Amino acid sequence: MARSQSPARLVIALSVAAALAVFLLYVSVAGGTPSVQPSQLRSHHGDVALVGKVVGKATGDAHGDGLRFRLRDVSGSASVPIVYRGSVPDLFRTGREVRLEGRLQNGVFVAKPDSLRTKCPSKYTPAKRS
Amino acid sequence: MPELGRAALAVCLGLAVYAVVAGGFAAATRRRRLARSAQNALLAAFIASLGAAAVLLGALLRKDFSFVYVADHTSLQLPKQYTVSAFWGGQEGSLLLWLVILTGFGAAAVALNRRVETAVLAWVVPVLGLVTTFFAFMLVVVSSPFDTQPAPADGAGLNPSLQNPYMMIHPPFLYLGFVGLTIPFAFAMGALLARRTDERWIVATRRWTLFAWTALGIGQLLGAHWAYVEVGWGGYYAWDPVENAALMPWLVATAFLHSVMIQEKRGMLKVWNMLLVVLAFCLALFGTFLTRSGVVSSIHSFTQSPLGPWFLGFICLVTICSLALVFSRLPLLRAKTRLESLVSREATFLYNNLLLVALCLTILWGVAFPILSDAVGRGQITVSAPYYNFFLRVFGLPLLLLMGIGPLVAWRRASLRSLGRSFAWPAGIALATGILLLALGAGSSWVGLVAYTFSAFVLGSIGYEFARGTRARRALAGGSWSSAFAELVARNRRRYGGYVVHAAIVLLAIGVTGSSAYDSVKTQKLKPGQTMAIGDYRLTYRALVKHEGANATEYRALLDVRRRGHFLETLASGKNSYRAEQQVSNEVGIRSDYLTGEDLFVITDQINRNGSVDFKVLVKPLVNLIWLSGVLFLGGSLIALWPSAAEQRRLTARYRELRAPARA
Repeated sequence: MARSQSPARLVIALSVAAALAVFLLYVSVAGGTPSVQPSQLRSHHGDVALVGKVVGKATGDAHGDGLRFRLRDVSGSASVPIVYRGSVPDLFRTGREVRLEGRLQNGVFVAKPDSLRTKCPSKYTPAKRS
Repeated sequence: MPELGRAALAVCLGLAVYAVVAGGFAAATRRRRLARSAQNALLAAFIASLGAAAVLLGALLRKDFSFVYVADHTSLQLPKQYTVSAFWGGQEGSLLLWLVILTGFGAAAVALNRRVETAVLAWVVPVLGLVTTFFAFMLVVVSSPFDTQPAPADGAGLNPSLQNPYMMIHPPFLYLGFVGLTIPFAFAMGALLARRTDERWIVATRRWTLFAWTALGIGQLLGAHWAYVEVGWGGYYAWDPVENAALMPWLVATAFLHSVMIQEKRGMLKVWNMLLVVLAFCLALFGTFLTRSGVVSSIHSFTQSPLGPWFLGFICLVTICSLALVFSRLPLLRAKTRLESLVSREATFLYNNLLLVALCLTILWGVAFPILSDAVGRGQITVSAPYYNFFLRVFGLPLLLLMGIGPLVAWRRASLRSLGRSFAWPAGIALATGILLLALGAGSSWVGLVAYTFSAFVLGSIGYEFARGTRARRALAGGSWSSAFAELVARNRRRYGGYVVHAAIVLLAIGVTGSSAYDSVKTQKLKPGQTMAIGDYRLTYRALVKHEGANATEYRALLDVRRRGHFLETLASGKNSYRAEQQVSNEVGIRSDYLTGEDLFVITDQINRNGSVDFKVLVKPLVNLIWLSGVLFLGGSLIALWPSAAEQRRLTARYRELRAPARA
């Protein structure tokens, strides 16, 4: 039985090759977004996803000249000022963890419109009490 | 009472361990009575886990806050139905529900196959016992739902966003799906251990797989609908890791449901089926791990819990052991026949499998990418919606096309002439649809145009199949068209139920394409009396009203909606401000047009002090087809699941055939 000539194997091999080619093409064209905290922001120049905790009071109008607040490392003290325009999720509040996309411009993190996401403080798993 | 719960779980753990040890020994040494005893241990484990669940449910209903779990997830004001749903609102309760379903499914599968499958079943019992042992161990040692404390005056309550009817039904469906995948896995491993690698394990678990797959699919659609009407950002799926965690096993199970047909009909792809069933089960475990460990940051943000390492360890153990087992049995898994032609039913199933698995693996890669990039020292790099959407198009569109091609191609080897005959109608319909849509201006999105042309092709091919079958049936048996049609479906439920599910998937594709490729969004600040226009709609913001509800202050903006000059209705969209929880939630206004399937979706983004409101308005064409597809999907699955006496007779005859040479 000449198993090596099975068309099934040929199909699988070709498909895997095709999938890999598509994948490499995509990765080389698009790639992902680095996810950083405020303290790591200085070393990234392009677009990043910034994750951190909202500190201080948020001022301004997200539908006008922009909502302004500071974002701090989740566990750390480094922080960065943020300006954001667009929809503000219901769960956005001081002390919450949020995620924004954008880039640092002149010391201020300018977020892309509508990129603000809050983490759901759901009680699905309450933080473990020790 | 908590002692009773703890004791029940400990008993369950003990019984599970017994089922592994005694069951394994009995299977290896072929001791019938010991094997029977191990089976009974599994049944008893189900009863023990039911007892534990009853204790927890009782504590929830009594609001006994001396149970840490009850105090953490309910409060005195919480309505009764959400008190019940708090059972799966937290980690410990979720694990307990998992255990109850697992032991229940296990007991039922064992009881149903007792007489048919003694050799395989002897090995299925220890495998099921092993999975049960893991979950019972977690509940006894790592994460007990029966921890106690001095009772506080009131509980912490349930998050307002979880106080929703969908909370009652969406998680249990997902669990039914996740856990249900254990049964085909256990039977596959049992067949390998027993060296019975014919298709009997597949036949024995076919309905289990179908049931788990249906539950998983319905559970996801319910979750999508929940997100759409309640969370209020205008979408239904966001490629969040937790959502992907449920989608991946569903995709693999879909591949498995198709590829087992090739093994049943042609005795091929035995190794592949084994790998698929292992992958599906591991992904179900991975889904639980992902949602519970907090290793990938997700919108659903489950905080770090002690479960992570245990789950990861168990997944590794399952993967290594089952792959080693498959490898050691490779000689037994050799195919009886070969693929004869690249243009055949088998070949289209093979392509469909490769595409489904490729789609699943790219999603898995996206989900795991932050962990992997962190591990190689590049920091957490996340991939977002464009990545997933790209691959959904690359793999999803060919899948859609194959769904139309598959049923038209004959098994083994299709001749060009028969292909031409059966393709003429569907291809003609697709071509006409494509040209018509292009004339109507659907060319604004080439993905949409391609998806709709393919959808028309699939619907054409399904219609053609039904028509061809009905005509053949009527020629054979006579009678009316309708009776011939009913008989056709009844005699081959699996096949025609499958076609109905295909039609549901097409509806889903049409709905998803319409609402994503042809939607429109507009944000605008309106003062009372002002009007905004979007598409054919004109919305006039009339006034903002405030209402003190039972537990929230409700603000509603009232908008008069007109389309092409005709007044349609006054839509209310606003926000609720929950007093106790200090939380605001969006309450979107949705106007569904059930004739066209289009939704007008109004979000009150921001209420300003001067009385103006920032609105975000979306028009989502055909989005209601997504929900309709769920109904059709369920209907098709039920047709395929429905027991059939004729099929049973055929199977019994087949078994006798199979058993005869084995004895010789």
